[in-house]
Amino acid sequence: MISVGIDAGSATTKAVLVKGDRSIIHTIRPTAFDFISAAEMAYKDVLDHAGVDKKAVDHVYSTGYGRNSIKFADKAISEITAHALGVYHLYPDVNGIIDIGGQDCKVISVNNGRVIDFLMNDKCAAGTGKFLEYTARALEVPIEELGELALASKTPAGITSMCTVFAESEVISLRARGFTKEDIAAGLIESIAKRVAVMARQIGLKQNVAFVGGGAKNAGIKVALEKELSISFCVPSEPQITGALGAALYSIR
Amino acid sequence: MHCFESLDHLKNSYNTRISQIVDEKKAGKKLVGTFCLFVPDEIIFAAGADRIILCGGKNDTVSIAEQYLPRNICPLIKSSFGSIVNNGCSGVKSCSHFSMVDLIVAENTCDSKKKMYELLGDYVPTYVIDLPQRPDSPEALNYFLGELYKFKNIMEQLTGNKITVEQLKMEIKTSNETRQLLRRLYELRKIDSPPICGVDVLKLLQKQYFLSTEELKASLRMLINEVERVKPDGTHKPRIMISGCPMSSGNTKVPEVIESRGGVIVAEESCTGTRSFWDLVDENKDPMLALAERYIKIPCSCMSPNDRRIENILELAREFEVDGVVYYTLQFCHGYNIEKYKVQQALRKAGIPMLFIETDYSNSDIEQIGLRVDAFLEMLS
Repeated sequence: MISVGIDAGSATTKAVLVKGDRSIIHTIRPTAFDFISAAEMAYKDVLDHAGVDKKAVDHVYSTGYGRNSIKFADKAISEITAHALGVYHLYPDVNGIIDIGGQDCKVISVNNGRVIDFLMNDKCAAGTGKFLEYTARALEVPIEELGELALASKTPAGITSMCTVFAESEVISLRARGFTKEDIAAGLIESIAKRVAVMARQIGLKQNVAFVGGGAKNAGIKVALEKELSISFCVPSEPQITGALGAALYSIR
Repeated sequence: MHCFESLDHLKNSYNTRISQIVDEKKAGKKLVGTFCLFVPDEIIFAAGADRIILCGGKNDTVSIAEQYLPRNICPLIKSSFGSIVNNGCSGVKSCSHFSMVDLIVAENTCDSKKKMYELLGDYVPTYVIDLPQRPDSPEALNYFLGELYKFKNIMEQLTGNKITVEQLKMEIKTSNETRQLLRRLYELRKIDSPPICGVDVLKLLQKQYFLSTEELKASLRMLINEVERVKPDGTHKPRIMISGCPMSSGNTKVPEVIESRGGVIVAEESCTGTRSFWDLVDENKDPMLALAERYIKIPCSCMSPNDRRIENILELAREFEVDGVVYYTLQFCHGYNIEKYKVQQALRKAGIPMLFIETDYSNSDIEQIGLRVDAFLEMLS
C-alpha cells in the first residue's frame, strides 16, 4: 500500500510518501502564494524520489491550512489529528505534542495516537514562527542564526510584549539601550517559550512530550522551552513532517 | 437536513413585525426595548405595552459604537449601542426597530452593559432594573421583588394602565405556554440524529424576543408539527452542545461552522437557548413573587457564585446525550470567559470533551475556528 500525506502549511508545504508503514520519503517546500501548486509540486517531488508512478498511489490525504483546497486528495484531516498520528508512529509512548509552526502553535494531549485535548493559538502571532521572523528582522539577524545567538547569552533581556508588533519596537528600544544581540535574541526566545509553556500547562503536558514543527528546528527554543517546563523533549530528526506523515498514515490506520 | 416551511415563513417576519409595531404605535401602544432575560416580559405585556429585543448580532455597527465606547468590550454591547446611536453618517444602516422604542428597560448584569446604559440614556429614555448578584442569599429575593415592583410602577406610568393581578396571571400563563412549546421542540432534538439542525433552532430562538407572542407560538406549533413528521435517518453525527454567551440575531457564525463540518448541535446552554425557557413561572403563587423567584434563578455568569450553571450544563449534557461541548464566548466577556475554567473542570470530571472558542462578530477567524472544529469532531468520532 502506498499512501501520500500532504501538509499545506502557511510557510512550508510538506509531503510524505509511505510504503507499507516502513519506508518514508519526504519533501519540504516553501508554500509561497499558491497553496495548490505548492502541494502539486511537493506531491511530484515525493513520487519522483520514490520512483513511484501516480497510478500506484492508493491514497492521498491532505492536512494543514490549505487542506481543503487540495482537490486531488481523497480526504482532508485536521493538523491536530495528523500530528497525533505522525508522532505516534515515531514515538508511540508520548502523551503530549507541542507544535510551533509558521503562523500558529498547538499543544496536544494524546493517548496511543488519539487526541484527548488540544489548544491552539492562531489568532495572534505570539508564540509562533512569525513572531521570530519579525523580531529577528528588528535585530538584523537571519532567523536561522537566532537560536545559536540566544544560546550564547548569559543574561537574557526581558521582553514583555506578547504582541509581535510591539515586541519589534521593544527590540529597537533595547538596542538603543545598549543590550547585546545575544541577550535580545535570548529574550525573544524566552518570551515564546513562556507563552507556549502556559498553553502546555493548561492541558497538563508533564512528560513524554514530542516537540515538532519548524520551531523545533530552533535549538534556542527547544532549550528555553525544556527549561520552562522542566522536561526534555523527543524531537524527530525531521520535525517539520509529522503532520504530513500522520496524514499519510491516516489511510493505513 | 430538512427544510421546514414554517422557518421559510419566518424569513419574511421582520417586515411584518415592523409594520405591526408601526400600527400599534399609531394606536397609542408603547414599545419597550430590552437586552436581557432578566427583564420579565409578563410585566411589560400586562401593562399593555409591546416589547422588542435590542441585542445586536451584526458586525456593521460595531465601529460606530467604537466612537463612544472602548474597543475592548464585547461585540454584543458595541453592536447594540452602535445600532441605537447610529445616525447614518457612516453609510451603515441600523435595522429599523432600534429607533422605534419608547423606553429601554435595562438591567444591571455585566460591567460593560451597566456603563453602556449610562451613555444610552442620552439617546433613549432608559430605565435600569438593579439585580442582586448573589442570588442565593436570603435578602436577594426580597430585593429583586422590590425592584420588580418598581419596574411595574414604571410600566404603569409609561402606559397609563394599571397592572392587575389577573392580567399578570394571564401573561404568566401565556409565557409558560411558549416555554413549554420550546421544551417540546428541544425534546425532539434528543432523537439521534435530530430531525432539525441547530442553526435552524438558533434562528428561531433569535426571534424569540423579536416576534409578538402570538406569532412566535404559531411558528413554534407549525415547526413542531413539521419536525415531528420527519423520519429519523438513523445516521449518527457528533452531538454537540453549545454553552456560553448569547448569539444575537445576525450572529450564527460558530453554529454554521460546526454543522457544515459534520457535527450537529442538539442543545444550547445560553440566553439564546435553554436559559430563556427551561424553568417555568409558578402559576399558583402570588404572580410578582412567582416572577421574582423564577427570574432570579437564571444562571447568568454575572451571578456569584454560579454553581447552578455548572450543574445545569452537566444535566443538559446527560439529558441530550452530547458527545462534546463547544464552550462559546465573545471576546472580552469576562464573566463567561472566566467561568470557562470551572465548566472545563466539571466536564473533564464527567468525561465530556470540551472545545473552547472565543470570537467576535467579524469573519476573520472562520478558517481558524473551522480547524479547531474539524479537530474536535475528529477527536469525538
